Amino acid sequence: MPRLCELQQAFAEAVIEGKHSAVTSAMAADGSALRSLALYRRLIRNNYAQVLKITYPALHRLVGACYFGVFARGYFKHFPSISGDLFRYGHHLPAWLQRIEAPPLLVELARLEWACHEVHQAADSAPLAPEQLQAMVSADPSRVTIQFHQTARFLSFHVPVHRVWQALQPDASPDAAIDLQLPEEQTGLIVVRSDGKVRVIPLAWLDYRLLEALSQGASIASIERFAREAESGFDFTRLMTTLLNLQVMAGISVKEGICRTPPVS
Amino acid sequence: MSVQHPAPIPAQAGIGLRAQHFREILDAPPPVAWMETHPENYFGNGGAPLRILERIRAQYPLSLHGVGLSLGSTDPIDHAHLRKLKTLIDRFEPAFVSEHLSWSSIGSRFFNDLLPLPYTTESLEHLCARIDEVQTVLKRPILIENITRYLTWRDSPIPEGSFMAEAVKRTGCGILLDLNNVYVNAVNFGLDPLEFLTTLPIEAVQEIHLAGFDRFGRMLIDTHGQPVYPEVWGLYEWATHHFGPRPTLIEWDTNLPPLSVLVEQATQADAILGGCHAAAL
Repeated sequence: MPRLCELQQAFAEAVIEGKHSAVTSAMAADGSALRSLALYRRLIRNNYAQVLKITYPALHRLVGACYFGVFARGYFKHFPSISGDLFRYGHHLPAWLQRIEAPPLLVELARLEWACHEVHQAADSAPLAPEQLQAMVSADPSRVTIQFHQTARFLSFHVPVHRVWQALQPDASPDAAIDLQLPEEQTGLIVVRSDGKVRVIPLAWLDYRLLEALSQGASIASIERFAREAESGFDFTRLMTTLLNLQVMAGISVKEGICRTPPVS
Repeated sequence: MSVQHPAPIPAQAGIGLRAQHFREILDAPPPVAWMETHPENYFGNGGAPLRILERIRAQYPLSLHGVGLSLGSTDPIDHAHLRKLKTLIDRFEPAFVSEHLSWSSIGSRFFNDLLPLPYTTESLEHLCARIDEVQTVLKRPILIENITRYLTWRDSPIPEGSFMAEAVKRTGCGILLDLNNVYVNAVNFGLDPLEFLTTLPIEAVQEIHLAGFDRFGRMLIDTHGQPVYPEVWGLYEWATHHFGPRPTLIEWDTNLPPLSVLVEQATQADAILGGCHAAAL
């Protein structure tokens, strides 16, 4: 009888690589060993396929169970689970779809759904306090940067993938046709969570670039300058109003000092 | 090791808490005594799941039933996982914390399934050391649950019930008795379920699970996707008389029905528990 560690390694080899001999020699010699291993392999794969289905529900609806199952099986082979917590199991699916040259729309839809998945359970943040907003308004804008909530993600795409995502939501009309012929157009989205619900909000492309730059640490003054260079007469006040309405600001830093809202426990 | 005993859940029926039922439970809390959930579903840093669990916890006693600790693995315990579990326990103060008598990872690769251990002296010593480690970190005893298995190890000389009894004796842990698993193993391997059940130390059995199975050919598979079968209800009646009334959970994970079906099953369990309570008077 192999030691416990060897037995577990042999079982893993059998399930992952189909190398049965080491583990079947430790199993009952009643002819059931291969059948048992096949059953475990099936149960394990089904579990992972189910996790991916929960993580990527729109993708599952779009391609159907059969096609999705093919993705899931390939993914299982190349991206083993490394945790008892399955929350991050599907993290590499967009990259995997790209690697197997799946249609680009599927890759983009998967990217969007992964962001939604992360935002769903990201740390809570309190809204910005009025005094912090006041500090932002009264400070030199070249010294002001903004921190965003962890419940906000900026994503850009070459097609308006959110239209397909929206059409695949459970509350969308099941009879509505989904237009998969998306026009090539620079698309900027922000994925946010409010009242526990994840929302995908399209932004005008320039707004997206400016807010995304802010989220990367650009100062207020630098994005204002960039906006005016990109579009004469750009309404910067409107952009700041959009930002406020999104309720995604977690804190404001004024160079040589940080003014941040503590995370909500 | 110094552990404190948690406040007990009443010896009544509860249901497994699943996200698909959140809205319904919040809108109209069902008439069940308690709820159980998988802690791994609440390992995120924030968001709706934690807030909903907070609201539900305010109304019901709670049990946390882990599926990811891989207690029997020969890999080191995942302390990041354990810390997250401890954080949840501190926040939600569950009456029970349970895990499975199984392994699910090796060489840092997880299978996220409940795989059977061979019941050997080596496995017993290993498992007990791991239970000790977990209980020390959590500062409380855990319950370990008997699993279904779909294979037989050639060298597994210790009967499952004796293996669990010895683990209880050595570590002070309790037992979560899954009667559906007992039945499924009994049918699949031609075992006498009472032989297993009568080996368990009576006081150690602190919770009972009831669930349904599916048939695949000649095998029964523990899918948690059907109502409790009559044969399992029969075992439950026997068990409630043998062990006494125990908190009992209706577990349902796949092919999830409306909440009312789970509540009906819990009512059925309560009727059996009620008979047991009455007989004890």
